[in-house]
Amino acid sequence: MPGLGTTFGRGGATTALPDLMNADAILIMGSNMAENHPVGFQWVMEAKERGARIIHVDPRFSRTSAVSDIWAPLRAGSDIVFLGGLVNFVIENSKEFREYVVNYTNAPIIISEDFEDTDDLDGLFSGWDPERRSYNPQTWAYAHCGTFDSAEQEYVDGGHAKESGRLTVPDLTSCERDDTLQHPGCVYQILKRHFARYTPEMVETACGVPRKLFLKIAETFCSASGPEKTAAMCYALGWTQHSDGVQIIRTAAILQLLLGNIGRPGGGIMALRGHASIQGSTDIPTLYDILPGYLPMPKLGVNSKDLATYYSKHQDKTGLWWNIDKYMVSLLKAYYGESATKENDWGYGWLPRVTGDHSHQGYFLDMMDGKVEGLFVMGQNPAVAGPNSRFERKALSKLKWLVVRDLVELESASFWYDSPEIGRGELRTEEIGTEVFFLPAAGHAEKEGCFTNTQRLIQWHQKAVDPPGDARSEPWFVYHLGRRLKQRARDDSRPRNAGLNALTWDYSLEGKNHDPSVEEVLQEINGRFLPDCTLVSGYSDLKADGSTVCGCWIYSGIFPAPGQNRANDRKARDFYGHGWAFSWPSDRRVLYNRASARPDGQPWSERKKLVWWDDVQKKWTGLDVPDFTATKPPDYTPPKGAEGDAALAGNRPFILHPDGLGWIWAPVGLADGPLPTHYEPLESPVRNPLYGQQTNPAAMPEQRPGNQYANSPDDRFPYVMTTYRLTEHHTSGAMSRTLSHLAELQPDPFCEISRELAAERGIRNGDWVTITSMRGIIEARALVTSRIQSLDVCGKRVHQVGVPYHWGYRGLVKGDIANDLIAISEEPNVRISEKKVILCNLVAGRRARGKEALEQMEAQIWGPRTAGHSPVGSASEGKSWR
Amino acid sequence: MAADPQITEERLNAIRDEAARTGKVQHGGIVPADSPFPKSALEMSYHGNPVLKPPTWTWQVPLYFFVGGVAGVSALMALVGHVTGNSALVRAELLVGLVGGAISAPLLIADLGRPGRFLNMLRVFKPRSAMSLGAWTLSGFSAAVGLAVICHELLRAGYGHEFLLAVEWFAEFLAAFTGLILASYTSVLLGVTAIPVWSENRRLIPAVFLTGALGSAAAVLEFLGFLIPATQLIGLVASTTEIVIAILIEVRDRYADRPLREGIAGWLTRAGAILAGPVSLLLRIYGVHSTGARYCAALCFIAGALIARYAWIAAGRASARDPQALFQIQRRDRNTTSAI
Amino acid sequence: MAVSAFLTDATLCIGCKACEVACKEWNHVPADGFTFTGNSYDNTNALGASTWRHVMFLEQPSSLGAQITGTDDPFRWQFLSDVCKHCQKAGCLEACPTGAIIRTELETVYVQPDVCNGCGYCVVSCPFGVVDKNHEVGTAFKCTFCYDRQREGLMPACAKACPTQSIQFGEINDLRKRAHVRVQELHERGYSDAQIYDPQKTSVEGTHAMFVILGEPETYNFPPAPEVPTVHMKSAWTAAIISALAVVLVVCVSFAL
Ligand SMILES: Nc1nc2c(c(=O)[nH]1)N[C@H]1C(S)=C(S)[C@@H](COP(=O)(O)OP(=O)(O)OC[C@H]3O[C@@H](n4cnc5c(=O)[nH]c(N)nc54)[C@H](O)[C@@H]3O)O[C@H]1N2
Ligand SMILES: Nc1nc2c(c(=O)[nH]1)N[C@H]1C(S)=C(S)[C@@H](COP(=O)(O)OP(=O)(O)OC[C@H]3O[C@@H](n4cnc5c(=O)[nH]c(N)nc54)[C@H](O)[C@@H]3O)O[C@H]1N2
Ligand code: SF4
Ligand code: SF4
Ligand code: SF4
Ligand code: SF4
Ligand code: SF4
Ligand SMILES: [Mo]
Repeated sequence: MPGLGTTFGRGGATTALPDLMNADAILIMGSNMAENHPVGFQWVMEAKERGARIIHVDPRFSRTSAVSDIWAPLRAGSDIVFLGGLVNFVIENSKEFREYVVNYTNAPIIISEDFEDTDDLDGLFSGWDPERRSYNPQTWAYAHCGTFDSAEQEYVDGGHAKESGRLTVPDLTSCERDDTLQHPGCVYQILKRHFARYTPEMVETACGVPRKLFLKIAETFCSASGPEKTAAMCYALGWTQHSDGVQIIRTAAILQLLLGNIGRPGGGIMALRGHASIQGSTDIPTLYDILPGYLPMPKLGVNSKDLATYYSKHQDKTGLWWNIDKYMVSLLKAYYGESATKENDWGYGWLPRVTGDHSHQGYFLDMMDGKVEGLFVMGQNPAVAGPNSRFERKALSKLKWLVVRDLVELESASFWYDSPEIGRGELRTEEIGTEVFFLPAAGHAEKEGCFTNTQRLIQWHQKAVDPPGDARSEPWFVYHLGRRLKQRARDDSRPRNAGLNALTWDYSLEGKNHDPSVEEVLQEINGRFLPDCTLVSGYSDLKADGSTVCGCWIYSGIFPAPGQNRANDRKARDFYGHGWAFSWPSDRRVLYNRASARPDGQPWSERKKLVWWDDVQKKWTGLDVPDFTATKPPDYTPPKGAEGDAALAGNRPFILHPDGLGWIWAPVGLADGPLPTHYEPLESPVRNPLYGQQTNPAAMPEQRPGNQYANSPDDRFPYVMTTYRLTEHHTSGAMSRTLSHLAELQPDPFCEISRELAAERGIRNGDWVTITSMRGIIEARALVTSRIQSLDVCGKRVHQVGVPYHWGYRGLVKGDIANDLIAISEEPNVRISEKKVILCNLVAGRRARGKEALEQMEAQIWGPRTAGHSPVGSASEGKSWR
Repeated sequence: MAADPQITEERLNAIRDEAARTGKVQHGGIVPADSPFPKSALEMSYHGNPVLKPPTWTWQVPLYFFVGGVAGVSALMALVGHVTGNSALVRAELLVGLVGGAISAPLLIADLGRPGRFLNMLRVFKPRSAMSLGAWTLSGFSAAVGLAVICHELLRAGYGHEFLLAVEWFAEFLAAFTGLILASYTSVLLGVTAIPVWSENRRLIPAVFLTGALGSAAAVLEFLGFLIPATQLIGLVASTTEIVIAILIEVRDRYADRPLREGIAGWLTRAGAILAGPVSLLLRIYGVHSTGARYCAALCFIAGALIARYAWIAAGRASARDPQALFQIQRRDRNTTSAI
Repeated sequence: MAVSAFLTDATLCIGCKACEVACKEWNHVPADGFTFTGNSYDNTNALGASTWRHVMFLEQPSSLGAQITGTDDPFRWQFLSDVCKHCQKAGCLEACPTGAIIRTELETVYVQPDVCNGCGYCVVSCPFGVVDKNHEVGTAFKCTFCYDRQREGLMPACAKACPTQSIQFGEINDLRKRAHVRVQELHERGYSDAQIYDPQKTSVEGTHAMFVILGEPETYNFPPAPEVPTVHMKSAWTAAIISALAVVLVVCVSFAL
């Protein structure tokens, strides 16, 4: 979530779903909210009923478009042009919320004179190092004051954590700024120049959105912003699953800052998360590069030597990250208990180090190379949902052992005997050495615990029934596995076991299955005082001297006293839902809500009031918990040399940033530039209409055998394919294809194509078609519909093919796996793969069976051998996609 | 329609014309070759799906319609036989009635699946449900015929008694009365449904079914040896009526009647009508003196009448499948009464 | 007891099918086949013995109020959740020979599964094509209006599951009023073709499941002027009696000659 994290400070939706009801306009883009978040969508419908204008920009006319006021079809992968067009529109027409922009964002800050923009460098920013294929962000720093700490020439390689790199702002008052926004070196002017190319004409050319339609949207959205009005945005995978996904979100964030829509009721950016607790699994992460609460994971050689080095990289002098030592030490105390002492650096040395790319794509590539011995798959189905699933299934066969814990025996557990590779003779069961252990898992109704939903709301759920048979919960499995490992390591004094031996692992067990107490886990997450183990009341209680433990500082306050599990609160007191569960941090529902008041502390307008300064009580009050130090007056000016939160003035709402400002300009934290800029997807039907640089230079296409790319453009694969979900199924389908009541609703894999493409290829509605890419071949039924429109892009007719990705080779309904066509690639900041745009070909008829399917695919790639086609594509080894 | 319906309609017509002419539409592409042309709202239904549910009845039901009809009219003939003093006729017809009644119940039960289910019908007496009335009628008819047969046989065996005779008269009268209902209620059963072809022909189906029953009863009688003028006459009348009905269906040319003229149901209807109508009639007229021809005529009529039962059920199925049949009727009615 | 009713509003429906699934889950209605239809996103097609709520998907060449779509021609995608109409005068109930179909104290139309004998007469008597016979069980099924839930004071499962209040459940007169207000409101907002589907002026005399629809009822496969078949009772019996008398006449004359 660095898109939001770098811009605002925290990687989470800035608002709550019910707050959408207060919006005057909602732009849903890169999300099919009605289909994938139908329950949350009720608030959009409510807003619509109250007169808000709903705008949906999406390659397809989906169930969301059906109930929107405006739908604009755009070419998949062109979002930055569209959003950049909006930014340009705002600036050109002076639609920005000037007072907000000047006070609350870094628009007035002057940037280093060494900075050179994409305009000058044909799509690259200054600092590009072609050798290392990454940026040195030296020149992106604030001029004169905000020195980027780069003693050792740090390169950014991004990540989920708080901005890696440190912006030291010794004295904010001395920071060079121009509140008239006229200085040519100020962020605002750079922004203006940067986006000047993103004209309505360019939007029409690159996105295929007619100029008039674009202007209508721009007018509608901007006129719903200002002191009296607010507009919100909702996005999900249509923005994230791109090789420049983080920058798409950045563009949106910049736009919302310009329009003054952050921290205000009915405004904000609603990042729609996926699985029930996906937000939770970045907060308390399943990601490889962060620790709970977005603390960066130690990286070998960079920050890993000792805590002092770690702090020197990550501790900001000003803002909330000044307290990183308190959060880190409390976390280490939670891990290692008594064993963590000041003398041994609180056990910092026992933490594992990041030694390379351990992301999903990274380890599957390693797995293919035989570098990974074993794998636990718990609640995932990479054989279907992973990028280039064909590649991933083959990679699984290289493992020595594989543990799959799931509710059903899914494709990832059965690939060794019934995957298409077996049928096509690519893999032979007898030759697969992988030992597969399938363990039954308890479903969420069979265990208690909590989910953190899309709006950062942590909700407790009770156990309804005991799990059947041998099925056990994840806590049970992980706890008892850990217990046994610790037992084995107890008498083994090799250094590698020191951490394991030091680990506290002492939850009380309950129930007939001896499940660890999850309430105790939640208490540990909340934090305790040592040595008497009383619960802390919030993260401000945490200390760096080892007298507190805390499993995740941002969740602190969730269990403030025995018996007070606030995740289990069930009495909402107000419209924002206070009293119903707990929203991190500190139950704030709308983040940065200090911005809902003017610099002087009074609401921008009566209609849009949320949090304000009460002059009588001398504190911030309002409809939400203030996301601000409650007693810090609006006119507070920090004394010289102040540190942490005390160093932020009373009119600085973005308290996690060292300067307290919303970052239109991101001086640190991003691997691909301080401002967003449009790059074409790794496979694109056109050349980049804006710059010579075709694709995101920092993105990693991971081109290799089995993961080849098409050229951009490529006659063999003329169509743009995009993938998505249907309400009727869930992700890899393991949970929906197995249920008759869901399976019957969408029984066959299908693709959606325009009437024009259907006519071109002689396809009738309901026919079978075969779709191929550089990586795979699948068949699907064709839904011929006006809901997909062919577009005019860069002087060319572009046809898009929409493919839901829910089918696999098991379950009540089966079908080919869409992800066999997708490429493994990595966005440079979060390493997500580009699943929303690839190039494909589509022909009428079913694909060949067995081995011949591969021949059919090869023929598509290489052409009939005899025809003497010179193999393009992979031979050009990674040049074509650049 | 939000936009001016006229304009949209014109536009659609233009597109339709173009599509019909060229097989595809150029600008932006509305319709690929071979896909359905856009239709105006009034012609449209939901994806062309049926609105109504087709009858669920199994093959036994039309057979029952036939058997019940023959049995019912036979009971009438038994009564007439008694009045005219034709004892042999009475005996034969009572037997036909008895056998018909005895076959009917199992046929219905076969459709229901379980014997006990037939009894559910006798929980309530609900005259406004033709099905309920039918169930009671069949029960009453079977009982009456059974009683009549018993009395008749006892009397024949010499157990003559005033009372027994009175009972026989009563039972025969009851059997004739319920027999007539048995032979006609099935037509009401179809006519009083939502299925367009049935509902629209609710005044015709009774004539169809009763003619079939009448002619078939006479034909059965002929097979039982009664090659008498009465059966010949009835045969002539029945076949003539069949012809009239068939002509009516053909010339009325109503949309709702299409299943009676088109498709499998249509050909079944025609086959039935031809067998029971002209074929049977001509055999009777030109084979006046030939016993063989008469048997043939009887057989053709029975076959024709039986086929007609299946044809009407098949037509009901086809009619339920066609949403336009329903819409057209209701639009017509609605325009005259301005409903909703 | 209050008179229960549904008001299902096409303009609020997002086609999520939660109602369809919730109904099946609560009532243990089995799945009915895994067939792809190609009819937009609808693979259910119609109400039936094992589908008591059915969400329709209509792709139409006309516009939705003032909606702007980036299509070359007017286009809209509509959804509507269909259900048994629980007719004021119900064809199925009139037809049922066993008394299996009853009107409950909530004035809803309910099939008692233990009484139904599977005669199938309700099937051809429903003017909306709702009720159907399950050939495995051999008896007829349709929406129960969640009679069991309602008796416990719970809302029907489908209404409960609907995230957008497209399915509103309540007292019939309240809902009728609400429907009129809603249609008025929709007209003002530019949905000029919004109308209520609640055939009150036909022999059905109104339904307990009303709908707010856009455009003509036919596009939703709603009969424009549904009639309870029993209104034709008189004409059918008259014809039958005349025919029967003719038969009597022919028989008498023939045998008398
Ligand atoms: N019913 C249901 N709900 C779900 C899920 C499910 O599987 N089923 N999955 C859950 C999970 S894990 C997640 S992550 C969320 C995902 O929620 P969404 O992000 O809403 O899911 P998608 O359907 O993958 O994609 C959203 C939309 O992006 C569009 N799109 C594709 N390419 C582009 C592009 O380049 N630009 C733009 N602007 N749009 C594009 C697609 O057409 C699609 O309509 O949903 C969650 N909710
Ligand atoms: N082409 C394409 N590919 C995509 C996407 C896309 O938009 N396009 N989206 C991507 C996204 S956002 C996601 S999130 C992934 C999803 O992909 P996956 O996470 O791989 O797929 P799921 O089917 O959600 O797998 C979840 C599994 O968890 C099991 N499960 C459920 N509850 C429990 C439990 O309590 N314990 C255990 N052990 N197991 C449980 C379920 O049975 C199921 O098999 O797909 C990704 N792949
Ligand atoms: S499945 Fe759960 S998370 Fe998803 S929309 Fe429904 S209620 Fe919300
Ligand atoms: S809609 Fe049909 S099944 Fe429902 S009550 Fe009316 S007649 Fe009966
Ligand atoms: S099938 Fe059952 S419910 Fe329907 S009419 Fe017959 S007995 Fe009544
Ligand atoms: S009321 Fe109950 S039975 Fe009827 S459709 Fe709704 S959930 Fe199903
Ligand atoms: S649950 Fe509501 S919104 Fe969803 S399909 Fe049913 S009626 Fe429509
Ligand atoms: Mo996801």
